[in-house]
Amino acid sequence: MPGWGQKGQERLAGARVFLAGVGGLGCAAGVYLATAGVGRMDVCDADAVERSNLNRQFLYTPRDVGRPKAELARDRLAALNPSIEVSALVTEIDHATAPELIAGADIVLDCLDNLETRFALNRACIAARVPMVYAAAADWTGYLSFLKPPETPCLECFVTRTPPPVEPAIPGCTPGTLGALQAMEALKYLTGIGNVFAGKLLVMDGAEPRFDVVAVDRDPSCAACSKLKAK
Amino acid sequence: MTIYLRSGGKLRDQLKPDVDEYTRRVEVDGDLTLKEILTTLGIPLAFVAFAFTDGMLRRLDYKPSDGETITLQPPVSGG
Repeated sequence: MPGWGQKGQERLAGARVFLAGVGGLGCAAGVYLATAGVGRMDVCDADAVERSNLNRQFLYTPRDVGRPKAELARDRLAALNPSIEVSALVTEIDHATAPELIAGADIVLDCLDNLETRFALNRACIAARVPMVYAAAADWTGYLSFLKPPETPCLECFVTRTPPPVEPAIPGCTPGTLGALQAMEALKYLTGIGNVFAGKLLVMDGAEPRFDVVAVDRDPSCAACSKLKAK
Repeated sequence: MTIYLRSGGKLRDQLKPDVDEYTRRVEVDGDLTLKEILTTLGIPLAFVAFAFTDGMLRRLDYKPSDGETITLQPPVSGG
């Protein structure tokens, strides 16, 4: 494939990815990153597998219910590609823990399931100047963007409103699609191939079906990133 | 003036489309912001995460023009 080759493979082998959450998004993203040969992956999730996860979190089986997702994901991703290193972090991500958790990562994938934790991860990525690939999904709807302020907006520039307390059910193919796209963004960034969704938001409405790509500007008054100046 | 509001996901339940499955035609006074239009329609702002038109994300202080179609998307955070 043009641009990949031995050099691209070596870049991936030397890369380190932080996977924040191994639910529906993280299972899909993790599989494609592992099989592509990303040399080191840190998978972080404080939750245990629940039966209701199994329609979309395909790294787990009914026998895994009650066991920590991060440890299971580590074992199964490492089994897919024994030449990579995968570590499991069974811990919560918050404003206190996020900076240390992502330290050393070349890129962070936001595969989380709530806005509060996303904002903590966003702040840590801004401080560390590490790019973050945002995605979120519910029912047939999904969003994705590549965030690397000050070159792009950060998450708090354009995501402000929290979803209703009860989100709709989610078929596995929705986070699976978005998670695969997150992996694609990471692989492009790490190999230097093509262009990422920088300054752009992908809006997927799978029910209609419709995919829109819209331009997103930085918010000059953003509490998280407005002090960063573009080069 | 007339504007068209296209809704995605669960927002369709709120917007009550009438042009097609996704779109509602709305007659509004000129010079209103999106926020004012949504408030007039009784759509809680918390149900709208993104609004866009012409390939650009718009904030709720955006003033649509006559005949414009605005796509509205709900907040989602699942993973």
